Amino acid sequence: MSPAGRRLAGGGVAVVLAWLVGYPLALTVLEALGLPRQPTLEHLAEFARRPDEWQALWRSLWISAASVLLAAALGVPLAFVFARLEFPGRRLLGGLVALPVALPPLVGVIAFLFLFGESGFLSRGVQAALGLAAPPWRLQGAGAILLVHAYSMYVYFYLFTRAALARLDASMEEAAAVLGAGRRRTLARVTLPLLWPALVGAALLTFMTSLASFSAPYIFGGGFRVMTTQIVASKLNGEIAMAQVETVTLAVLAFLGLWAMRRVDPARRVVVGGVRGVAPRRRELKGATARLAATALGWGLALALLLPHLTLLLISFVPPGTWTVETLPPVLDAGNYAALAGCRERLRPVVNSLWMAAAATLGAIALGLLAADLSLKLRGRLGAWLETLLAVPWAVPGTVFAIALASAFSVRAPLAGRFVLVGTAWILPLAYLVRSLPLTGRGALAGLRQMDPALVEAAGSLGAGRWRTLWRVRLPLLRPALLAGGALAFITALGDFVTSIVLYTYDTRPISIEILSSLRLQETGVAAVYGVLLTLIGAAAFLTRGGEEAV
Amino acid sequence: MASFLTLERLSKRFGEQRVLEQVSLEVGHGEILVLLGPSGSGKTTLLRLIAGFEEPDEGRLTVDGSDVTALPPNRRNFGMVFQHYALFPHLTVGQNVGFGLGARGVGRREAVPRIAEALALVDLAGFEARRVHQISGGQQQRVALARALAPGPRLLLLDEPLSNLDPALRERTRRQLREALERVSMTALWVTHEQEEAFAVGDRVALLHEGRLAQLGPPEELYLEPRSRFVAGFVGRAGWLAGQLAPGGELLAGDDRFVGHAVRWPAVAAEPLATGDPVDALLRPESLRLVDPDGSADSLAGEVRSRRYAGETTYYEVELAVGARLLVADAHDAARAGQRVAVALRPDGSPPRLFRREEPE
Repeated sequence: MSPAGRRLAGGGVAVVLAWLVGYPLALTVLEALGLPRQPTLEHLAEFARRPDEWQALWRSLWISAASVLLAAALGVPLAFVFARLEFPGRRLLGGLVALPVALPPLVGVIAFLFLFGESGFLSRGVQAALGLAAPPWRLQGAGAILLVHAYSMYVYFYLFTRAALARLDASMEEAAAVLGAGRRRTLARVTLPLLWPALVGAALLTFMTSLASFSAPYIFGGGFRVMTTQIVASKLNGEIAMAQVETVTLAVLAFLGLWAMRRVDPARRVVVGGVRGVAPRRRELKGATARLAATALGWGLALALLLPHLTLLLISFVPPGTWTVETLPPVLDAGNYAALAGCRERLRPVVNSLWMAAAATLGAIALGLLAADLSLKLRGRLGAWLETLLAVPWAVPGTVFAIALASAFSVRAPLAGRFVLVGTAWILPLAYLVRSLPLTGRGALAGLRQMDPALVEAAGSLGAGRWRTLWRVRLPLLRPALLAGGALAFITALGDFVTSIVLYTYDTRPISIEILSSLRLQETGVAAVYGVLLTLIGAAAFLTRGGEEAV
Repeated sequence: MASFLTLERLSKRFGEQRVLEQVSLEVGHGEILVLLGPSGSGKTTLLRLIAGFEEPDEGRLTVDGSDVTALPPNRRNFGMVFQHYALFPHLTVGQNVGFGLGARGVGRREAVPRIAEALALVDLAGFEARRVHQISGGQQQRVALARALAPGPRLLLLDEPLSNLDPALRERTRRQLREALERVSMTALWVTHEQEEAFAVGDRVALLHEGRLAQLGPPEELYLEPRSRFVAGFVGRAGWLAGQLAPGGELLAGDDRFVGHAVRWPAVAAEPLATGDPVDALLRPESLRLVDPDGSADSLAGEVRSRRYAGETTYYEVELAVGARLLVADAHDAARAGQRVAVALRPDGSPPRLFRREEPE
């Protein structure tokens, strides 16, 4: 392609991305200010006047900060154990420990509900064991949210720290040892400072994920509202303008987070740069007791981490109305599965989720690859723009995007690029696609950056044209990166709850919405079956492809 | 030799930096031309221009009389061996070698024997099913050659093809490559920064310096008749002796007040010079010998600073009393380090080559 043609293509892709990513957000900001027709600061003033808005904002912030601390406390030691010690089952457990990252948040939340909730498995057990009249605790409010966050977000610290430990040059620690530093001093003065950029990266990621978290506050929050649940509540109450102001506020917080993240990135390069050495060898645990302890601890931990999902599996086999006051379910059968398989109306959400997630993922892979390729070839300002547009949906909470898309695509104004998509079958796949772009786009960018340009030139020198080179050389080489990004995108779209709850219609309701309505109808068994389905599909996608890159 | 590939005044700049300036040269059919130069001399850029990966800012490229300057790489029908081989990691050895055949629409039935033939040419018969990462560096290098040759290109380009091999393997692979190219009488352009490699494989060598063609000719011409100080210094070992041009075109060097400290040697001027001009004389180690310091006329006295054993010969670094250091190739037992010696011109050695002395800046 000629440079001019490339710029033209880059411009076209940038316009499409801007229309999908930037435009809805910009419209939301404008409409929150009453622009363009009736400029007003009234909505902003109203927001500032209400104490419950400030409270939600404050709660979002402190919940996120506390989530960072808890996730770090779990994830960092785990990473050290799996990166530095050798014990039976280490490889398998190391993969299992990363699993929660691949599970849809809503599934984790209902699994927690079934395990720790008032009528949960564990609560009943404790109640029966101690002979209490009431459940020993209530899974509600900030504590419940933090528990779920810590459980699902320690994975960021775990993965980042493990990756950084793998990159760490063993000679650094050896040098410290030769210079007389003991193990603790080496850890404090050498290892942790070298890990610092990774830890900061994981902290920001956790903070932003927590800021955007919706499922846990929605299910467990009750009266404890954070920004995301506040937005959806405003929307459901018909306070559209207020929802837009709240959305803008949350988006500003998220962009501050993204900005902070960008600032950390260069530091990482400085610290890790230089000659790459070999990571320290794993320490083989000597002595039977130590090995036994490590093995037991590892397996116990894995079991604890998998317990919510095992509970989910158990509940999915409990027939409706059979489990009332007993500690263990008295009857188990596959009735819930049969009910789902035999009923078209109940299968419909599964089919909906599958096709919408698949369509969104394919679209996101194609658009992400195209944009990534052009952004690398163009470099310059246009290239940087493409890369930024690819990253934005990642930083923006799902609720924000849902409100933005709902605002942008509920009006018919073709000349302004606005169409009525809300209420049609297109809005959810489109929303999933936009939210998946950072995953597929980043995968494509990473794959393209790693690819030796000489391979493409070699294909050219051997007579292959652009399409043949794409098909025979570039795509096969990019496959792992595209599949990793695509698998994560698919899992995310399949289990999406946060955008779906704002944008779904009855005909296009996805699995997550059906889980919610099953819970409302007290059909816990059916809800569990949906949860198990999401978990299985997610785990399969993660373990076959997504995990390759992550672990 | 009739010209097969012709480069006419090729120029290329990257931003402000001029990488190639008006490079013209011709390559004959079946000839192996080596592009030699230090890093940054533009040799790789020149190769990439010829391959079509870069477009020249000026100039023209013709093959067999037809202009290919604007043709994309995949339609030039050139083969290329990349520095890091660029073997496709997701394909087997056989699929790699067959890649160019597939791109030209050659069917499977025809491709299989041609792949086998190409692999046999590089002594890798039967390697079709191996994975690229299962074979050694030297074998990968030969697969890269087989892949480039399999479609029957009209020209082969090699970009530092041996730079990733260890020295022992390098010499053997160099011989194998050269033999394979000769067997199919392939016209080839071979880029290297190593003079020894250039001399071993090239029918002719094009030495590049700062984007310009410094000299083009057979190896012995570059070595014995360098056109510039740069060529003299880059190609082979060189010693320099200050002097002046005596009548009759001879070199007068040293201090003629003392016997054994002045010489008058037959010489060749590398550029136009007038009698009495101050000159620097290029002296190759093989043109010099060590003699007895006492009573040898037409020699320069000095002291052996160091000696380095190099197989068939030994190099002596001699510090002359008149203040120059020369490298002399002689027998292993010609002198010890620290010994007083004198340096004389071998009767059968090539005469000193004279360049105008550059004024110190």
